[in-house]
Amino acid sequence: MKDDAVKGKPVTEKKGITRREVVKTAGVAGVAAATGVGLFGGTPPAFAQKRTIHYLMDSYFISGAKDVHLAINEEYKKQTGVEVKMEFINQNDLNTRLTAAVEAGAGPDMTVLKWNMPHLFAGGLANHDALLADIDASGYYGFMHDATMVDGVYRALPAYMTPNAWVYRTDIFKELGISPFPETMEDYLSAGKMLKENGTPVGFTLGHTLGDAPANCYTWLWAFGGREVDENQKVMIDSAETRAALEFFREFWNDACDPGGLSYDDGSNNRAMLAGRIAVTCNAASIYYFATRNPDKVPEGLGDNLHHAPLPAGPNGSYGTNQPLSEGIFEHSKQKDVCMEYLKFFRTGDNFEKWFVAMGGQAVGPSPVWEDHPFWETQPALGSIPKMGGYGRSFGYSGPYDRKASEVQAKYIIIDLLALVARGDSADDTIKWAETELKQIYEG
Amino acid sequence: MNRMVGETYWQRVIFFYIPLFMFLVMLLFPFYWMIQASIKPDRELYNAAMSPFYFRSATFDHFRYLFENTQFLLWMVNTFVIALASTALSVTCGVLAGYSLSRLRYPGSTMLGVSIFVTYLVPPTLLFIPLSRLVNEAGLMDTRWSLVLTYPTILIPFSTWLLMGYFRTIPKELEECARIDGATRWQAFIKVILPLATPGILSAGLFSFTLSWNEFLYALVFISSPENKTVTVGVVSELMIADIYYWGSLMAGALLGSIPIAIIYSFFVEYYVAGLTGGAVKG
Repeated sequence: MKDDAVKGKPVTEKKGITRREVVKTAGVAGVAAATGVGLFGGTPPAFAQKRTIHYLMDSYFISGAKDVHLAINEEYKKQTGVEVKMEFINQNDLNTRLTAAVEAGAGPDMTVLKWNMPHLFAGGLANHDALLADIDASGYYGFMHDATMVDGVYRALPAYMTPNAWVYRTDIFKELGISPFPETMEDYLSAGKMLKENGTPVGFTLGHTLGDAPANCYTWLWAFGGREVDENQKVMIDSAETRAALEFFREFWNDACDPGGLSYDDGSNNRAMLAGRIAVTCNAASIYYFATRNPDKVPEGLGDNLHHAPLPAGPNGSYGTNQPLSEGIFEHSKQKDVCMEYLKFFRTGDNFEKWFVAMGGQAVGPSPVWEDHPFWETQPALGSIPKMGGYGRSFGYSGPYDRKASEVQAKYIIIDLLALVARGDSADDTIKWAETELKQIYEG
Repeated sequence: MNRMVGETYWQRVIFFYIPLFMFLVMLLFPFYWMIQASIKPDRELYNAAMSPFYFRSATFDHFRYLFENTQFLLWMVNTFVIALASTALSVTCGVLAGYSLSRLRYPGSTMLGVSIFVTYLVPPTLLFIPLSRLVNEAGLMDTRWSLVLTYPTILIPFSTWLLMGYFRTIPKELEECARIDGATRWQAFIKVILPLATPGILSAGLFSFTLSWNEFLYALVFISSPENKTVTVGVVSELMIADIYYWGSLMAGALLGSIPIAIIYSFFVEYYVAGLTGGAVKG
């Protein structure tokens, strides 16, 4: 600066960076960042961007399957750089979380869905038609499609099913001379009477539960030819077949069942069976899984004395209601394409097979192909579990499995139909009540 | 306790001690059940042939499972921090709003007081949907702040209402004396009113802390990461799986989760009662 003075230039003492310069620099940097034209030129390459998808599902009951799932996620991350952030919650809280996510338009990217949830939350779920076309779901069970297709559009990917069958104590049956497991309703009633006299009755829930009650109750109606609606959703509950079903059910409940079933929740029948208090219940494979892997917590030898059978046939046959499970991507997700790629990776091929085996019989594949998988030969006690898909019907039979059928299920109308008769109400009054409720839903 | 005049010993036993005993049994039985279920081994817990009302052998396996297989301690810390912060925020707002509505006269104060109380009547089951949108847009989803800032929607109305009643029991003359002696309204509030209102403030604080500690719905909806969960949600998520409930560990979690509240109440129960009843008698 002294040199400037010598050369005749004005002497201005530089005092360091001024505020004006700082503001100017920050402004330039901000504009550069906003337009993406930074100092290094352009946006970072895609592979350097870390992506995470948030996957909401109910907690794994089978720890081995959870480990396999997490390992598959890790493999997916290695291959694609996408991290799958898992959130596990209690299954009874799923509806609350899904409602909040759909109504807020924010939250997880994808979720597991049970039963008819794709219909209930259709407004918040993305169109999955392209995904279904990619994986060829044409061979899937009909009820798997019914659960996920809403007004002609797939709102979720049908993933697998959890079938319910009748779990029974082979040792008690043998002791009482009941063999094989009853195949008709009359035989079931006779066997049930013997079991109750033995102090080990039939036990199942007639409560408002998420899993066991719907899985069981509809099948009693169908076994006698009763149904909610016809093909055009005209209410048909008031019929001779329904009366026959209810009268038989009343007798069966009084003579063969644990009356405490009116207050069972989804876990009560498990506890009763694992404690040896009941000899038969309607359940998925979880009782067998727990008994065989926790022998110190159950009566000795229980795990070796369990088997599974379908509901005995009524005049109209034998039916099952298998819980369809699907996976849905939320409409609000900004990573729908990533989620679809992930679902293709997880739910098909070797990855699905590894996971299916790890589930230990709690999951059955979405198509009849899985009925003959070699895994079932290693678990003969699972009995009819792999074949229950063939017995499956959807709620709302014989109409479509749509939002109205979902509403009937959510309001537990068919469950209460049986529960009211079990507690002593007349069949006529109960049918009249159910008809009123069903007409409000189906006919407006 | 002294007998009333004319009251015989047996009258006292029948009309006082027996009902009191039954009341105690009804109140304490859940704790007894939790304690014995949390230390009972599984072979006794699930054995229907054994009486469920006592145990033959004890084990700490359920507690061990709770601490080793879940993040229970972290959930307790989260719950404590969230409850403390939301209580502090709610009581502060409640004190200021309660004083304003009970002491100051301005247009709309009555309507404001009523509307604050009416918001208390709106159930969280209705509010969680719009709140989840707000929380998400504020970028607070899956953070402790989502609960610290939403719990006051439940806590402030009740705290305000409680403290309004309590402030009304404090004679205005005390405040006026302080004002005459030269104190500003704020000084009178801090130095005269607040010390006298301590029972009411503690009562509001206890109530707020308890509600925050036990809250489930907002914690379920706004928090997703396991490390951010509170005790109420974490225990249910990890120990109730499909149709298998880990009853021993569930009871252990419930027991440990209720101990902090029980300890706090044991120290401050007189203030709590005084605070709740302070506004009950018009004086």
